[in-house]
Amino acid sequence: MEYNLIINDKTFPVTLDIQDGKKYVVSIGEKQFSVEFDRIGEHLLSLDVNGKKINTYLADTPEGKEIFFNGKSYLVIDADALEQEGTRKSSGGKSSDEVTSPMPAVVIKVMVKEGDMVEKGQGVVVVSAMKMETTLFAPFAGCVTKINVQSGDKVMPGVILVDIEKIEENT
Amino acid sequence: MIKKILIANRGEIACRVMTTCKEMGIESVAVFSDVDQKALHVLMADYSYCLGESEPSKSYLNIEKIIDAAKQSGADAIHPGYGFLAENASFAARCEEEGIIFIGPPARVISNLGDKTIARQIMIKGGVPVTPGMTQTEPDPLVLAREADKIGYPVLIKAAAGGGGKGMRIVKHPGEMQDACAAASSEAVSAFGNGAIYLEKYIEKPRHVEFQILADAYGNVIHLLERECSIQRRHQKIIEETPSPGLTPSLREEMGKAAVAAAKASGYVNAGTIEFLLDREGRFYFLEVNTRLQVEHPITEMVTGIDLVRQQIEVASGKRLALTQKDVFGRGHAIECRVYAEDPARGFFPSPGKIRFFQQPTGPGIRNDCGVYSGVEVPVDYDPIISKLVACAEDREKAIAKMIKALGEYVILGVKTPIPFLIDVLKSEPFAAGETYTDFIEKHFGNWTPGEGDIDMALISYLMNEISGRDKTQYQSSISQEALSPWKTLGNWRL
Repeated sequence: MEYNLIINDKTFPVTLDIQDGKKYVVSIGEKQFSVEFDRIGEHLLSLDVNGKKINTYLADTPEGKEIFFNGKSYLVIDADALEQEGTRKSSGGKSSDEVTSPMPAVVIKVMVKEGDMVEKGQGVVVVSAMKMETTLFAPFAGCVTKINVQSGDKVMPGVILVDIEKIEENT
Repeated sequence: MIKKILIANRGEIACRVMTTCKEMGIESVAVFSDVDQKALHVLMADYSYCLGESEPSKSYLNIEKIIDAAKQSGADAIHPGYGFLAENASFAARCEEEGIIFIGPPARVISNLGDKTIARQIMIKGGVPVTPGMTQTEPDPLVLAREADKIGYPVLIKAAAGGGGKGMRIVKHPGEMQDACAAASSEAVSAFGNGAIYLEKYIEKPRHVEFQILADAYGNVIHLLERECSIQRRHQKIIEETPSPGLTPSLREEMGKAAVAAAKASGYVNAGTIEFLLDREGRFYFLEVNTRLQVEHPITEMVTGIDLVRQQIEVASGKRLALTQKDVFGRGHAIECRVYAEDPARGFFPSPGKIRFFQQPTGPGIRNDCGVYSGVEVPVDYDPIISKLVACAEDREKAIAKMIKALGEYVILGVKTPIPFLIDVLKSEPFAAGETYTDFIEKHFGNWTPGEGDIDMALISYLMNEISGRDKTQYQSSISQEALSPWKTLGNWRL
């Protein structure tokens, strides 16, 4: 079986071969690993990789599969499954052309109103999460066509807070 | 004697206080906001009262609602924890008015020490060394500039009502004075509703060393040794330890005496913390008094074996301190790491969300003061602290090794945490060498990024999880049941 897995925006082609009932061979680039495993619980796998044991913890998150071991978390996304899903939010939520909160937050202040002209980098909305305030900036110069939130609203990453229509360069 | 305590707080500190209440046979009353209905502190309490909307001013900061809950529940006393109303003199005064015991110092003491210039005046009178600088606030930037010339640059502008680095500015040159004063003052207005500022000499590259004190209502005061809290980001401590690598026994003795003098000068009662800055020459200066139980109190408990919450409750009940200074000695070395829901790779930005899986480290000398469980939502509304992990061992080196091991086994899936960052700090040479000054993070870890790690192992885990996919649908459907009972998912859990 072949997989294309993404970690930190890098894609790794990986193949998986079943050797016998319990043994697997995983090939990552030039490297080969002989693997056995036991599922211990809903979130816990006990692996034996080339004869050495390690426990890894897994959970599904909206961004992908989170995997933890040795004090570090990894976010793994299946590139093929991502393709099948088609229109997915840009992973990692770094949609630089949109005014959106980077995390679940509460809107503190909307600094513009519909019809306003804004400069690139101008503060548009202030959001607060866990006592820390963050200003969201206009990604480009343009006209505010719609404001989708008001102060006090709870917002999630990916939700467009303010629609800004880009000013064409030649006008 | 106190029989029932309302804890006017949430999260790990509310749980921490309830633990001692249980041990003392005292009933506990939790208060909670709408988003905290299933929070751990609510589950642990004997009684609980909903305060309503989540916004802090409508819940945990709402004095009248909390007084009301205390009266309805018949609580004799209120423990404020830290943060929220812990250092609010009006709250302490309201408790006094209502005949409810406030587990903390008297309102008057909180109010005096909460104003930095008054606190400085009290300390000077009590013979406690303070940083050279002003003892009055001053609105006129020209007068401030003249004072700065007298003190000598660099100077530090501070807000009288300050805390958490708000309203603070370092000024290195006279030309920056006017703008810096305006900025500090306006920041102080928005943070504390009070724009009054003053100047102190800026101490370069200090250590932050604080002394835990305990005082009863009969004038007995002792200290419970020091804590070093120099590892800070955005003026917030993230790693604390005791003993401090910067103190000699004679300096400890001298600073301990100053801390006791500070407590006596202010008429202190209950547990408190006297913060000092320690410069490179071993001179120390009074910084401020924290009139509450500190976040980092567990390390003191670990090395002294004294339960500070129990002491607080006993002092608040009117008992005399059963301990004298001679009874207090430290054994071994303890380190605390604060584990917040935050992303260390993105400027420690908060990372609220649902904790998908949670498993605490355990073992000899490990303590985790925790306020969450698997399946709980870390709300956006409050301080993002998840827990405080503490390791205690015979010496500093072993305590560091213990902490690194414990952090490596601390599984928190679903939200970002600083665990990989903390591990890197603890493994670093300057930390091992005890070169812990308040500019530590900025200097050594300013551009920290997480290492690549073991990508191969992550990929292998992913595939093996896919292989066992037969069971997976079942697992996923159970995850989607939001109403998972925390009691089933808690796993190993120590009270």
